[in-house]
Amino acid sequence: MMEVKATKSGAQLTLAVKGRVDTTTAPDLSEALALDGISDLTLDLGEVDYMSSAGLRCLLTAQKTLAQHGGTMKLVHVGAVVREVLDMTGFSDFLTII
Amino acid sequence: MTFAAAKFRKFLPAAMFAMVVEFLMELSSSVVCGNLIGEEGLSVVNLMQPAMGLVAFFALLTGTGTSVLYATEMGRFDRRRASELLTQGLWSALMFGGALALALALAREPACAAFGVSGSVLAGVREFWLWFLPCAALKPVMFFFVSMCYADGDDRICAYAYAVQLVGCCLLSVPLTMAFGFAGCAGGLGLWQLAALAVLVQHLRKKANSLKFVKHFSFGDTLRICRCSAGDASVKLCQAGLFLALNLYVVAHFGEGSLPVLAVVIAIFSMCEIFDGVGTAAQPLASVYIGERNDRLTRRIMVYAAKTAVWASVAMMLVLLAFPQLVVRLEGIREVALAAEARTAVRLASLSLPGLAMVMLLNSYYTFIAKEGLATTVTVLGTAAIPLALIMVAGLSESMAWTWAAIAAGPYLALAATMYLIKAKYGRANWPLFLSRPRERKQRVFDLKLDEQTICAVAAKIGKFLRICQGMNEKRAGLSSLLVEETLMTVKERNRGKKINAELTVDRNDSKELTITIRDDGEIFDITDADAAVNSLRLYLVANIMTALPARRNMTTTGFNRNCFKI
Repeated sequence: MMEVKATKSGAQLTLAVKGRVDTTTAPDLSEALALDGISDLTLDLGEVDYMSSAGLRCLLTAQKTLAQHGGTMKLVHVGAVVREVLDMTGFSDFLTII
Repeated sequence: MTFAAAKFRKFLPAAMFAMVVEFLMELSSSVVCGNLIGEEGLSVVNLMQPAMGLVAFFALLTGTGTSVLYATEMGRFDRRRASELLTQGLWSALMFGGALALALALAREPACAAFGVSGSVLAGVREFWLWFLPCAALKPVMFFFVSMCYADGDDRICAYAYAVQLVGCCLLSVPLTMAFGFAGCAGGLGLWQLAALAVLVQHLRKKANSLKFVKHFSFGDTLRICRCSAGDASVKLCQAGLFLALNLYVVAHFGEGSLPVLAVVIAIFSMCEIFDGVGTAAQPLASVYIGERNDRLTRRIMVYAAKTAVWASVAMMLVLLAFPQLVVRLEGIREVALAAEARTAVRLASLSLPGLAMVMLLNSYYTFIAKEGLATTVTVLGTAAIPLALIMVAGLSESMAWTWAAIAAGPYLALAATMYLIKAKYGRANWPLFLSRPRERKQRVFDLKLDEQTICAVAAKIGKFLRICQGMNEKRAGLSSLLVEETLMTVKERNRGKKINAELTVDRNDSKELTITIRDDGEIFDITDADAAVNSLRLYLVANIMTALPARRNMTTTGFNRNCFKI
C-alpha cells in the first residue's frame, strides 16, 4: 500500500509519500507527479520503507521533466532502505538528497 | 496449481507411460509366445523371467543410480561433479552390459538343468536364452540414456524411445516370432533396444542438452552409483528371485502344467513396475529439493506422489477384480479349467497392487535420500522375503489359491514391518520420511503465478517475514524484498503472454545466512549474469543487485530456471 499527500503552493509542490513504492503502486506516484506549472518539487520519502525500479523510474521521469523547464527536485528524509537503492544504482549521484 | 504440482504433473504421464511400456515390453514376450506358440510358449517365457529380471536389475542399477546422483549434484550446483558421475554411469552401463551377456551365456546350461523341465519346453528355454543375450548387453546402456534424458528434462524423447520399443515388442515381434519362433521373439528384444538407443542419443544434439561427458573414470564412482540405486534396483533382483522360487515351487507342487497360471500372477506382480513411474516422476524435483535441503518441498512432492500411487493402484486393482479375463485372454490361456484357475489367480494377486505401489514409492524415496539400506529392506521384505515366507506357510494347504493370497498379503505385511523397524531404530522424531518439521528450520515457501499483484505481495511478505519474524535489519530485509520483486518481474517480462509458475524458498540457517531460491518454468535464461545486456531500468537495477551479491548461482535444472542467492 502507498499513500501520497500533496501540498501545493504556487510553483512549489511537496509530496509526502508513505508505504511501499513498487510495481503496483508506482503508477499512483506517477499520477501524483503532475508537474504542469511546477518548478520546485520536494519529495518527502520519510515514510517510504521500500522502493523498486518502478519507483526509480518515477523519480527519473520527474527529474527529467523538471530539468527541461529549469525546475528542481529534491528528496528529503530518505530512509536507509531507499538510500541503499539510490546508492546502488548511482541515482544518489545526480539527485538532490537532503 | 503450485510449481511443484505443475512439474510433477508434467513428469507423471511420461514416467507412467515409460513404466507402462516397460511392463508391456516384459509382458509382450509372454503374450506373443502365449498366443502364437501356445501354453508351452507361455511356460518358456515364464522360465526366462528370472534372467530378464537380472538384466533389468543391472539396467536400473546404473540408470537410476546415475540419474539420482547427477540430479543431486546439480541440486548442489556442482556441474563438474555431475558430469563426472554421468560419464562414469555410461562406463558402468557398458561394463555391466558386456558382463551380463557373458555371464548369461555361461549360465545357460546349468540354469536349464535346474529348472527341472524337459522336452519342447526345455528346447524352447535354451533357444530363447541364446537369442536374449544381445538384449542383455544393450539394456543397461539404453536404460542409462532413458534415465539421463529424463533427468535432463527431455521427457518427450524418452516417450519416443519407449514408443519405438513398444511398437517393436508388440507389433514387429509377431512376424519375427511367426517366422523364427522363440529365436525371433528374443532376438527382437535386442533389436528394439538398439532402435530406442538410436532415438535417445539424439538428445545429446539438442540445444537444451545439459548432459556433458567429460574425461573421467573411477571404479569408486561406479560403486557409489550402484550403492545409491541398490535399493531401487533390488526390486528387480527380488522379483527375479521370487519368480525363480515360484517357478520351482509350482513345478514341484502343482506340476509343469500349472506354469501358465503362474504366468498371470507374475504379470500382475510385475505391474508394480508401473507404479514405480510415480517415484520416477517425483525424482527430478525431489532430488533437487533434497540437494537444497528443502524439507518442506520434499515432503510436498512426496505427498503428491503417495496420493497418486494410491489412486492409480486402487483403480488398477478394481479393474482386475472386475475383469480378470482381460489378463487371462491376453496371455493366450484357452484351456477352460486352466483359464478358471488363472482368473482366480488374477483376482487374488491384484489385491497386492496398492501395497506394492507404496512399497515401490518408499523404495524410491529412501533411494533419493541415500538411505539405501532402508530402500533395500522395504523392497526385499515386500517383493520377496515376506511373500516367500507366506507361500511356505500357504504351501501346507497344498492349495494354489492360498499361494496367490499369500503373495497378495506380502507387501502389506512388509510395509507394516518396515514402519515398525524404522520407528524402533530411528525413533519417532521425523518418522518415517526423515524430514524435519517445518518449524524446525526457518524456512518459508511461496508459490505464485507471475502477475504484478502477486509478485509485489510476495516481495512485501518476504520483507516483513525477515524483519519481524527473523529480526533481520531493515536494509537486508529490504534488499531481499527488492531482489524478489525485480527478479520475478524480469522473469514475467521475459515471458510476456505466458502463464508462468514460480516457487520461492526463503531459508535462514542457524548461522543466520539467508538463502533465497527462485524456480520458474519460463524461458531459460541466467538472471545472475551481472554482465547481461541491460535495456531497461529494471535490468539495470537487477544487474546492480547481482553485482552487490557475490554469492549467487543460476542453474537450469530438469528444464526449469533455478536461481539461488545468498544475502
